Amino acid sequence: MAHTALIDRVTAINWNRLEDDKDLEVWDRLTGNFWLPEKVPVSNDIPDWRMMSDAERTLTMRVFTGLTLLDTIQGTVGAVSLIPDALTPHEEAVYTNIAFMESVHAKSYSSIFSTLCSTAQIDEAFSWSEQNPHLQRKAQIVLDYYEGDDPLKRKVASTLLESFLFYSGFYLPMYFSAHAKLTNTADVIRLIIRDEAVHGYYIGYKYQRGLELADDAKRAEMERYTYDLLDELYENEVAYTHSLYDGVGLADDVEKFLHYNANKALMNLGYPALFPAEICDVNPAILAALAPDADENHDFFSGSGSSYVMGKAEQTDDDDWDF
Amino acid sequence: MTQTTQTTHSPAVDPTADPHALNAMLNLYDEDGHIQFDKDHEAVDAFLAGHVRPRTRRFASTAERLDHLIAHDYYDAAVFAAYTPAFLDEIHMRAADAGHRFETFLGAFKFYRSYALKSFDGEEYLEDFPQRAAAVALALADGDEDAARDVLDEIVSGRFQPATPTFLNLGKAQRGEPVSCFLVRIEDNMESISRGINAALQLSKRGGGVALLLSNLREAGAPIKHIEHQSSGVVPVMKLLEDSFSYANQLGARQGAGAVYLHAHHPDIMKFLDTKRENADEKIRIKSLALGVVIPDITFELAKRREPMALFSPYDVEREYGVPFADLGISAHYDELLANPRIRRTEIDARGFFTTLAQIQFESGYPYILFEDTANRANPIAGHITMSNLCSEILQVQEPSTYREDLTYDHVGRDVSCNLGSLNIAHAMDAGLAHPVRTAIRALTAVAEHTRIDAVPSIRRANDEGHAIGLGQMNLHGFLAREGIRYGSPEALDFTNLYFMTVAYHAYVASHELAVERGRAFAGFEDSAYAKPAGAGNHFDKYLDGSIDIRPRTEHVAELFAGCGVEVPTADDWRALQRAIMRDGIYNQYLQAVPPTGSISYINHATSSIHPIAAKIEIRKEGKTGRMYYPAPYMTDDNLDLYADAYEIGWKAIVDTYAEATRHVDQGLSLTLFFPDTATTRELNQAQIYAWRKGIKTLYYIRIRQRALEGTAVDGCVSCTL
Repeated sequence: MAHTALIDRVTAINWNRLEDDKDLEVWDRLTGNFWLPEKVPVSNDIPDWRMMSDAERTLTMRVFTGLTLLDTIQGTVGAVSLIPDALTPHEEAVYTNIAFMESVHAKSYSSIFSTLCSTAQIDEAFSWSEQNPHLQRKAQIVLDYYEGDDPLKRKVASTLLESFLFYSGFYLPMYFSAHAKLTNTADVIRLIIRDEAVHGYYIGYKYQRGLELADDAKRAEMERYTYDLLDELYENEVAYTHSLYDGVGLADDVEKFLHYNANKALMNLGYPALFPAEICDVNPAILAALAPDADENHDFFSGSGSSYVMGKAEQTDDDDWDF
Repeated sequence: MTQTTQTTHSPAVDPTADPHALNAMLNLYDEDGHIQFDKDHEAVDAFLAGHVRPRTRRFASTAERLDHLIAHDYYDAAVFAAYTPAFLDEIHMRAADAGHRFETFLGAFKFYRSYALKSFDGEEYLEDFPQRAAAVALALADGDEDAARDVLDEIVSGRFQPATPTFLNLGKAQRGEPVSCFLVRIEDNMESISRGINAALQLSKRGGGVALLLSNLREAGAPIKHIEHQSSGVVPVMKLLEDSFSYANQLGARQGAGAVYLHAHHPDIMKFLDTKRENADEKIRIKSLALGVVIPDITFELAKRREPMALFSPYDVEREYGVPFADLGISAHYDELLANPRIRRTEIDARGFFTTLAQIQFESGYPYILFEDTANRANPIAGHITMSNLCSEILQVQEPSTYREDLTYDHVGRDVSCNLGSLNIAHAMDAGLAHPVRTAIRALTAVAEHTRIDAVPSIRRANDEGHAIGLGQMNLHGFLAREGIRYGSPEALDFTNLYFMTVAYHAYVASHELAVERGRAFAGFEDSAYAKPAGAGNHFDKYLDGSIDIRPRTEHVAELFAGCGVEVPTADDWRALQRAIMRDGIYNQYLQAVPPTGSISYINHATSSIHPIAAKIEIRKEGKTGRMYYPAPYMTDDNLDLYADAYEIGWKAIVDTYAEATRHVDQGLSLTLFFPDTATTRELNQAQIYAWRKGIKTLYYIRIRQRALEGTAVDGCVSCTL
């Protein structure tokens, strides 16, 4: 029986022989940041949820279904599609972690939904997400590039997704958190932002390493391609933002936030900013909340916080017990 | 008389400005790299002008206001009926004229969000800070005009700040209890467990945190009615308690919050810790209940000697000794327990236990630690301390209750309610210290005397007999920085020692005065270390035998006390006080406890407790206020170097500071340790060993800070720069 070998040989991954130190640094950060949504007492937000207007509740559910969709793509297709292109075995390992955590994120939205909303409301929000043309278009654009055959283009699409496309949705829980609403839900989102900030940065970094191996023509092509794709996504994103936020009067501020994050995504890919500073002046309450540092001094009685990490176990030795 | 309203200090305030956005600018540098302190002041003005004033109900006079609030069931008529209309007018004028203003947006926002009296529909504010202070002072003074003025002056000036439940509730008609926290024992029987759950529900409904003792419960697999392997151990009880607290929190004005304590040598200890694991199964995961572990000296000795650590069956111990497991004192009986074949034991690795403890702390901040033998050696009251509370500063003896089958009491034991309030160290020093301490002790005693927790008779009994209170302190770091002293420096340690000694002295003077006035000491005084002969175990011997410095060690601190007009008590002063107390007793069974002061230090604009600041611009996140930014007191762009944060200062300086204070405090002090995420469990263990050796009684949370990976940070963010 004829059979084709999938790979020529298997090389065991050796974390003691690093080709790129960044792989270990990011791996350590991502594994240390492991979390599950069950740790956050989202049910403490139920009183807030009841106090919110119908418009705010609908908006919240739609935003979260949109985010669920993106995380689903990134977890099941996006991060996985990057694995075959990896330059080092350690990079492969990091992508598997990213893929897994994206699935955790997707599940966290469901856990927020099931805590706050009824099944009928959830179903309605999901059906909205299936019918919103802008959201579907966004998903389709990204999916097309993931299914394409250019590794660099996949990384650009992935970085734009991680560093740009998520943020029209992240705006809302950050806005709520600054105004003392749904603070435990915001803790979940902070944990997600903490992860996404690293994901976007890392994939962008790997893109830049890949670009170093390309010739000048390819580099010029990639730059053009990046800005074209960003334009396409941006135009769609603005329409998506208005379809979400017009009802509560936040669309203009969210647009500024899009500019800010588009620049950030370009920076991750090693390109200059596209939007001038004047149209990136995001509400300071949102900007100050965007920092992915885990440094909120939270009140333990109303939440579990977003700053804990997996500890590094180290045995004490006899000197430590010398008393 | 017209009501004076808050005056603004900037002429033109844009009421449409978003105070949250202005506040957030604290965390973003301006173009020149300076912290934008003025933006936070603008946030205060915008909030008061744009939000508070349009929603504040106006009255023509104090009399009209009080009549309205009493008639509409907002204010408690009995509180105000104890005074003449003329005096009520006077004291409200006095409050309004005291010149109170909010220093930070977080302080103002928090006050109006959580403390100020609002109309029942939540649309209108019916109080400002001076009016809240007046209502509290009037309720505490119980008709005594001089006392009311005294308490008002201390509160409105920011010298004394009653704890949240007191400041929030007093004077209001619809209110919870003014008590901060409760401690309740659970014994090894179903009646006691039921009563414990009942206490969790009843006390959460009334406000205040509740801690319960689990150490006495028989372990998983222990026999029930002599049939082996029947008991499910402590974890299911924890689940019941967690659900009870979250149920009660849906109705209460404040979040229901609870803690449970378990002895380190209880066989369920590892299961207890695993409930906080990041990957714990949903059936055993504990999300919001706080955990505390009681660790005796012997555990440290075993770890040092690399010996296994034996866990003993509480069921067997109680049968062998006739006393509950928690009351036995494991260190003193360890070898005996080990030699007794009728006591089942399992063994774990002692050092491994400490590693696991630290791992869980990394993942969740829990558990707290109570150093059992240290706390008991320092305890002046007869009996054994077995647990602490939700903030790990309350350490009091309790007594078990027994129940009949219908859950009525066969014997009412003693449990704990504690009334807290804290002095702002800077303001109290500026005012000479003696008077603020005395007024605070009287105010807190008044809270105890007004409290009758009938829902839990063991709490009511202990409060009636002991009038225990807890005077705390805050703004140590703020004060030190204002005086040009670095936190943790020799001067800072010298100051901390003398400050706490002087506070203790005046607290005892005040409690002695109360005993003389009331003609009685707390019940059980004669068995306490206060009644022992001088030189033979008397509580005050430590001030007379040279074991503690009672004079300034540094020039700077001597000048500081002299400059503030604060006299440091001498050996003669202590000797005279010791004699007087042996003769007349003191009124309060316990006097001091240093809480973490979350909320109240924000409205008071102090640094929390005696901790270093968490950050120059602290990012504070709470359920009721959301994410906000808080500048350290007295900080400017020119003195930033005096504001190293707790992560930079490190655990050693924090433990040293607390060690200075601890020896003057009869109960405990909430001590949080701060670590960067790069620390390992070993460093946590080193800090715990050091704290235990320095005579620290309890450790509170572990807080972890993680910096964004380089390349992912937000530019120009104050909290992101080191």
